[in-house]
Amino acid sequence: MNALIHRLRTQARAAEARTDLVVAIVALALAALVVPTALRGEGPTLANLQIVGYFGAIAIAAMGLNLLVGYVRLVSLGQGAFFAVGAYASAWLLVDGDLSPLLAILVALVAAGAIGAVLAVCSMRLRGPAFAMITLVVAILVEQILVEWRPLGRLSGYPNALDHGSGLIDPVEIFGLTLEPPLFAGTAVTVVIAIVFVAAIVFLGYRNAVGSAWGRSLRAIGTSEHLAAHLGVNVFSRKVVVMAVASVYGALGGVFYAQVMAHLQPETFDIFLSITIVLAVILGGGGTVVGPVIGAAVIVILQQTNVLVPVVDAQRSISDSWYLSTPGLIGLLLVLTLAFLPHGIVGSLVRLTHRGTEEPSEVETGADDGSELARSSDAVADAVLSVPTDGGGENLLEVRGAVRRFGGLTAVGGVDLTVRRGTVHALIGPNGAGKTTLANLVTGVYAVNEGELVLEGQRIDRWPTHRIVRGGVARTFQTPLIFAEESVEENVLAGFLDTGTMPFWRAWLKLPGQYRRNAEMRERAEQLLELVGLAGHGHLEAGNLSYGKQRALEIARALASGPKLLILDEPAAGLNTSETSVLGELLIRLRDRGLSLILVEHHMDLVTQVSDEVTCMNTGVVLAHGSTAEVLADPAVVEAYLGVAVEEGS
Amino acid sequence: MDAVISGLVLGGLFTLVGQSIVLTFVTTRTINFASGEFLAVAAFIGLGLGSWTWLPGPGKIVIAVLAVGVLGALTYRFLVVPFSHGEHDTRWLLSTVGLSYVLVNLLTNAYGANPQRLGFGRISEPKTLLGANINAQALLITVLAIIVTLVLVAGSKWTSSGLLMRAVAEDAETASLMGVSPRRVGAYAYAGASALAGLAGVLWAAEVGVSSHLGLPILVSAFAVAVIGGLTSFWGPLVGGAIYAVVVQIASYEIGSLWGSIIGLLLVIGVLVVRPEGLLGRRMEAKL
Repeated sequence: MNALIHRLRTQARAAEARTDLVVAIVALALAALVVPTALRGEGPTLANLQIVGYFGAIAIAAMGLNLLVGYVRLVSLGQGAFFAVGAYASAWLLVDGDLSPLLAILVALVAAGAIGAVLAVCSMRLRGPAFAMITLVVAILVEQILVEWRPLGRLSGYPNALDHGSGLIDPVEIFGLTLEPPLFAGTAVTVVIAIVFVAAIVFLGYRNAVGSAWGRSLRAIGTSEHLAAHLGVNVFSRKVVVMAVASVYGALGGVFYAQVMAHLQPETFDIFLSITIVLAVILGGGGTVVGPVIGAAVIVILQQTNVLVPVVDAQRSISDSWYLSTPGLIGLLLVLTLAFLPHGIVGSLVRLTHRGTEEPSEVETGADDGSELARSSDAVADAVLSVPTDGGGENLLEVRGAVRRFGGLTAVGGVDLTVRRGTVHALIGPNGAGKTTLANLVTGVYAVNEGELVLEGQRIDRWPTHRIVRGGVARTFQTPLIFAEESVEENVLAGFLDTGTMPFWRAWLKLPGQYRRNAEMRERAEQLLELVGLAGHGHLEAGNLSYGKQRALEIARALASGPKLLILDEPAAGLNTSETSVLGELLIRLRDRGLSLILVEHHMDLVTQVSDEVTCMNTGVVLAHGSTAEVLADPAVVEAYLGVAVEEGS
Repeated sequence: MDAVISGLVLGGLFTLVGQSIVLTFVTTRTINFASGEFLAVAAFIGLGLGSWTWLPGPGKIVIAVLAVGVLGALTYRFLVVPFSHGEHDTRWLLSTVGLSYVLVNLLTNAYGANPQRLGFGRISEPKTLLGANINAQALLITVLAIIVTLVLVAGSKWTSSGLLMRAVAEDAETASLMGVSPRRVGAYAYAGASALAGLAGVLWAAEVGVSSHLGLPILVSAFAVAVIGGLTSFWGPLVGGAIYAVVVQIASYEIGSLWGSIIGLLLVIGVLVVRPEGLLGRRMEAKL
């Protein structure tokens, strides 16, 4: 058995490594295609080489923007500004600052990253379009600085003959190699060679990052920040990091642009540049790995070659004054893409191929036998669950006198609740009793106004959600919060604490040890799916699962973090009778292996089946507490649920 | 002092366009990123009406404003409604950005990039206010902006259409169950908002000339103003416009126009750090 698992794990690892290797070879080979032409540097090819260099620059900026627009779903209209910062800062440091090329480039990138991070710190609490508005304001301001600030040459561009004696940035020399721009016939265009290889490398790093647990956290934030925090992600700092990374990618594009053109004009960096990069992402496919690269290629061809000339000419033959030229056509293309290709070129292709392979039988009908949750076995549970029972007393969680008010409403008014290790504590009460608010207090969604929360002897009532989650508390939600467009397996993988703890650099580099960890996580995810009765569902799109299965999936994801305490918010809501009893068996299995549970529930059958202890809340206070039988027999509880009993005959 | 007064007067222009932004945001939770180009479109319509010598200036302004209002309703119907399914769908943002490029490009190709004289709708004699020489046209716009603000504040509070508007903003689905058509309310909001942008466009173009690039700088300032004041309050653009324009004007007088813009941005960022919902905005709690 162990040998088999080991072999499967090795195979999975090898498959992943093989895919990565093939992608790396393809990327580098594509880059290498440019080399012979660039080395000859013949006059007629220079214009095309310039376009290739420009494509590399835009593609890199678009990859960075995709992290924001495609993954975190924050629309930035300011990527062009970071492109400009990279271009102008590196050029200025080279020409006026006289820094060594590598240092100049590095400083420019760090500066752009810092600006991005500061902007993120200031604006990440914004919801809705405000982020797009602010980035637009920044983009316009940067353009204004380029146009008006004297040291950057204003409209004469940078560098210019008047201030610098030459209108061109001298070719830089890095590691003994002189990077010649595509300007002089007969000179090897070494800068384009450097660009395509660096672009290939930063593409591979970006691909590693988005395919990693780090990348998963971005999708999680894009779906719901609330959920992301409950996966252990520090949403604020992750957004700051991703904004900084996106800015550095934008600036790297700008650095390359400066090297290819050897001269900068401020009007190149107007707001239209930002829109061009946005269109590259949207057209190629936001949230897909290669989308931005494909999109950049299409846009650059449209803009820099004369393929659009016939379109313009055709319009002008109708009306010589009312027609669209390139910027207008790009704007129109943006609208058409949004309307007819919302997932972009790559996203749509992926969807097409998926539809071909998936059996249509997975359209769920809800209650038929085929779609029931499968019962799992003790053996699976033993294999998957290992709750650390390291000391800290008998009580895992103690809620003491918790109070939470919303304005004038006291949702939770002085509640005590103790969860003993390895027990199920059911929390019942009519709607509006404050049960979910209490659950939200435990996971730090709201801070308590009064009272304390103690987890394993530690005060947690001032901890942010992600820290509480990492401390061993996991939960599911009243309405399932899942990544509907991702596979079931991806959903479970998002549950591992790696999602919150993996740093960007580790994700980008993807060190060899990562393959082992990925195989391990995939294997555990498989086991967890089996445990909750979803064996064999891993490849399906999560949004297509029935409601009951989505709830099971949420439990599997919550278990992936290896929690000590699992909070289930109405897990049986919407489940049929047999599904409820399967769920009950699962909960008992979890408890028997040392997990502690808080079960917020209305289904009294389930409560009776699994609970060791019951607390009944009403209007924010504890109405009754004790063993299941005691609480359910309590007249006050019956009254809260059913109203005052009317005496017969009265 | 001169800077303060001229700032207050200039702020009116940003307030007027800012109200256009807030109006669509409070009703539909969307913003027309092509609003800036609507300023230019209105100005060009006004320019086209120049040959109708029988029609007095105010008549031409009314026609231009109404036409842009219709354009706004069409924009809502064809570029916003199909691109806003749920809170995660922000395609409307990009589709209106796309529209703005189409409009700028069309106008530039048709009329060239140089500003042209509008020839009506301008108050030419200079005015003095509190001892400072001010631009009479900007003062006119500011007076209009204040009137528009008061009308919007009062209208949203006390009229039935204001109630409908707030109902749709609060919960479009429930409102539609109550027999309100969120789309119709949204279309009216877009028409009204675009008319405001058009009004600002014609009046400002009368002062600075008609050009295809009239709108973008004003839109950017209006964004800053709306964010400072808060996107959810009709008082926001008025307060934000006054603060923003005064700060930018003082900085421009004292250090230079570039620094004026930079300090304006820093002001926006400063407000965001302290109050992300804007000075007068209402904090929107996410439903869990």
